[in-house]
Amino acid sequence: MRAPRWTSAALAALLTMAGLAGLAGPAGPARAADEAAPTLTVATWGGVYAQAQRAALFDPFTAATGIPVETARHDGGVAILSTPEAEGWDVIDMIDADAATACAAGLLQPLDTHALAAPAPDGTPAAADFLPGSFGRCGLAHLTFSTVVAYDDRAFPGRKPRTIADVFDIETFPGTRAFRREPDALLEWALMAEGVPRAQVYDLLSTDRGLRLALRKLDTIRDHIVWWQGGEEPVRLLASGAVAMASGYNGRFFDARVAGDLPIVTLWDGQLLNRDVWAIPAGSDAPDAARAFIRFATHPDRLAALGARIPYGPARRSALDRIGLHPDTGVPMAQHLPTAPHRIGAALAVDSDWDANTKALRRRRFEAWLARGGDDRDLTDPATRPK
Amino acid sequence: MPPAPPRPDDRVTSPLVRMAVLSGVAVAVGGITALGAIAFVDAVAWLNDALLVSPRARVQVEDRAALVAAATVLVPTLGGLLVGLLLRHGAIEGRPLGPPDAIRAVQTRGALPSVRSGVVSSLAAALSLGCGASVGQYGPMVYLGTLFGALAARVRTPVRNLRTIAIGCGVAAAIATAFNAPIAGLVFAHEVILRHYSIQAFAPTTVAAATGFVVANVVFDRPALFLVAFDGVAHGYEFPLFALVGVLSALLAVGFMRLLLAAPALAARLRLPAVLRPALAGLAVGAVALALPDVLGIGTEALRFATIEGAFAPWELALLIAAKIALTALCLGWGFAGGVFSPALLIGILFGALLWTGFDGLLGVPNSGLVVYAICGMMALTSPVIGAPLTTILIVFELTHSYDLTIAAMVAVVFSNLVSYQLLGRSLFDVQLARKGVDLSAGRDRALLDAVPVARLIHTDMPRAAADERVGAVLDRLAAAGRAEAPVIGEDGRFLGLLRAQDARDREDAKAGALARRGAVVLAPDTSVWEAMAALDGFVGDAAPVVDHDGRLAGMVTEAAVIGAYLDTVHDLRREENAGA
Repeated sequence: MRAPRWTSAALAALLTMAGLAGLAGPAGPARAADEAAPTLTVATWGGVYAQAQRAALFDPFTAATGIPVETARHDGGVAILSTPEAEGWDVIDMIDADAATACAAGLLQPLDTHALAAPAPDGTPAAADFLPGSFGRCGLAHLTFSTVVAYDDRAFPGRKPRTIADVFDIETFPGTRAFRREPDALLEWALMAEGVPRAQVYDLLSTDRGLRLALRKLDTIRDHIVWWQGGEEPVRLLASGAVAMASGYNGRFFDARVAGDLPIVTLWDGQLLNRDVWAIPAGSDAPDAARAFIRFATHPDRLAALGARIPYGPARRSALDRIGLHPDTGVPMAQHLPTAPHRIGAALAVDSDWDANTKALRRRRFEAWLARGGDDRDLTDPATRPK
Repeated sequence: MPPAPPRPDDRVTSPLVRMAVLSGVAVAVGGITALGAIAFVDAVAWLNDALLVSPRARVQVEDRAALVAAATVLVPTLGGLLVGLLLRHGAIEGRPLGPPDAIRAVQTRGALPSVRSGVVSSLAAALSLGCGASVGQYGPMVYLGTLFGALAARVRTPVRNLRTIAIGCGVAAAIATAFNAPIAGLVFAHEVILRHYSIQAFAPTTVAAATGFVVANVVFDRPALFLVAFDGVAHGYEFPLFALVGVLSALLAVGFMRLLLAAPALAARLRLPAVLRPALAGLAVGAVALALPDVLGIGTEALRFATIEGAFAPWELALLIAAKIALTALCLGWGFAGGVFSPALLIGILFGALLWTGFDGLLGVPNSGLVVYAICGMMALTSPVIGAPLTTILIVFELTHSYDLTIAAMVAVVFSNLVSYQLLGRSLFDVQLARKGVDLSAGRDRALLDAVPVARLIHTDMPRAAADERVGAVLDRLAAAGRAEAPVIGEDGRFLGLLRAQDARDREDAKAGALARRGAVVLAPDTSVWEAMAALDGFVGDAAPVVDHDGRLAGMVTEAAVIGAYLDTVHDLRREENAGA
């Protein structure tokens, strides 16, 4: 059964009230709507992240509106939106650059993200409260996550890896590395390991020479790489001792370390900051409820509640101060955010436009590199230069 | 007497007032210049992105190959056309302005080109760089600082040398902002623009450089230009290699400068209309960039790649060096607005990397790695071009924070400057100025005296003789005036020569014209005081005649007047160069 046509204005007003009240309890009108409750399907990343979202966002949303939330799991990318799997999705949590690409391809509904975002509790307009670049054509940013490398502490009993260059130093730090089978992050890290300062990484990766250099660097550890696909795999690979280092998302590594008590250490050097956005797939047949959900889920209180459960940086300044202790372990969470002052210095913010616009090129070059196998080529020789 | 406008006298102004005025000017000029320099850099970056010049913009449309190719060729060409038109109709001089204009204004105390020309020139430079011409950005920024300094000095204040110091402040702030290097900024202002180290100028330029640094770093948080890691020089025998890098870089630098100086002559020989020259240079840049995109613009990416081993094959380095030299000479010689500093940095670092490839690969010498040779080459090539060895050494120090790299670069820079000074001169700027008649090689006093025509020193109250006058009558007039010579003027009003008393002895009845002698020294009104000094060497007599181009006598100039002018100038320079706060 699908939703009766809610008017979005009424819902928005209601949700703002609910947010301000700190969700003390379900309000009357929401209860009254219970009988007609539609189901909202939210596509997200699964694992401990989805569990944290369930506690911080989905259940409170259901409590406030009576709309049950079902989740579907995806592993990122744009192609997933065109699959039958994606039919019936009402809201999707995706990476900024993917959202921009999907938006341009008509796979997402255009959103007036400025109007959708609620003002901060102290009255600060949303435009001033959200971090710069949060308002997309189809997506509204809600958090900053970090792609990092983590290592199995047991694998390096003596000297520990400290920099991203150490990830490419197979002699000093032997062992298998697990990376996502995508050019993202890998090419950036390869150039950083060549000594390129963060500020210049994207400028250099924009040149043919930069791509060749990055792939040449990857070549040096080619035989020591295994590939992962889903976001929870890196933790599993590290925990089992199958790999010594793995790329992954900072929140999951944190959860493994703090909640799971696993010997996994995050290497913050070279962390890549990226935004996750909420967007509405073009095929959603409950767009009003979807918009209501996005407005609800980007309220500072909800962002802070999520940030207290998994250390991803909220997209709003007003949410930052509200992040308290981890509900289960009592760990103060603010210092574990990738955007915390002592971490941000080692960070490179991913240029989302560049990322979206160069994806095809980078994938082409990356796939060609994968297909080339282990043969060593002279990278400066134009005859063997990949076209 | 020298053309000095009436200047305020320090003795009547309190030191407190002078310090307050100089500090205020330093902070104001430093701050405004820093903002101007940042705006300039941002404007160029914005244009580079919008016009598909920067690799980061180009790669994002790489699936539209035709668009990229069209932009590569058309943007520099049309940009050149606009620059040509802008300079032709906007700038009074019809050419871009740069460090040589600042040097000339300060060294000869001459007027700076108009504010309008300065603004137009800066716009033209932003456009040139924005469209990917192979020119530099620091020259225009230095001129921007000069412009702001000269404007600040228009304020009426009771401080001597204010204009010179204010220009120094602007230049120091421009370099401090551009490189995030305040010490290099203040040294550059002294080494290249002021050419002396007085306490009076040192303090304000330091304040201005610091202000520029604060604005760039603290207020706007600009990233450092260049970050490299270097572990130190591994072997002692590498220092002679650094010196060799310096010598070889000097040879390349001299070739580069000769080409820069020859390019305008080539355009003139080809009879190309001045307004179209930049467009043709732009077309050349675009055509080369189709195959070698690294030549577009400032080339920050190539600069970085040059410090990474294996990023370039040796032949790629050689090709890029040749292309960059030729295109920079073409762009600057044919009228794009911009500097030589950034192209020199790029050519130098590529050359340093090439030399390292030779040492490391061909000779198999164990060494400390590519970075130090690349940096040595970069600075050894740049230093002779801008004539600023201390500045380049300090830039290395401030950009890399590496003492080892600085020492290595110092060795290369010093040898490079020695060689290039012998072959060409102190710097490209000085050679360019010398070709315009401002020779700074013999010191500033010469440049100043060269700028003063002897016509300003003449007197006209001497007794004159007509050609058909009796000599006796003339001698009487001479005796009355206490002189020993009289100029003889012909019927047509032309100067015939001097009648000397000693020649006239016993010939009182002769005509004056018969005894007139044209003497060894006859000066023209536009003869400079410096030339007059040389001409008067060994001169005997009361005064030398100054004759204009019609052959008429403009007046006489005494040796004492010339020496007096020289002493005044030297005394004045002494005072400026030794001025305290």
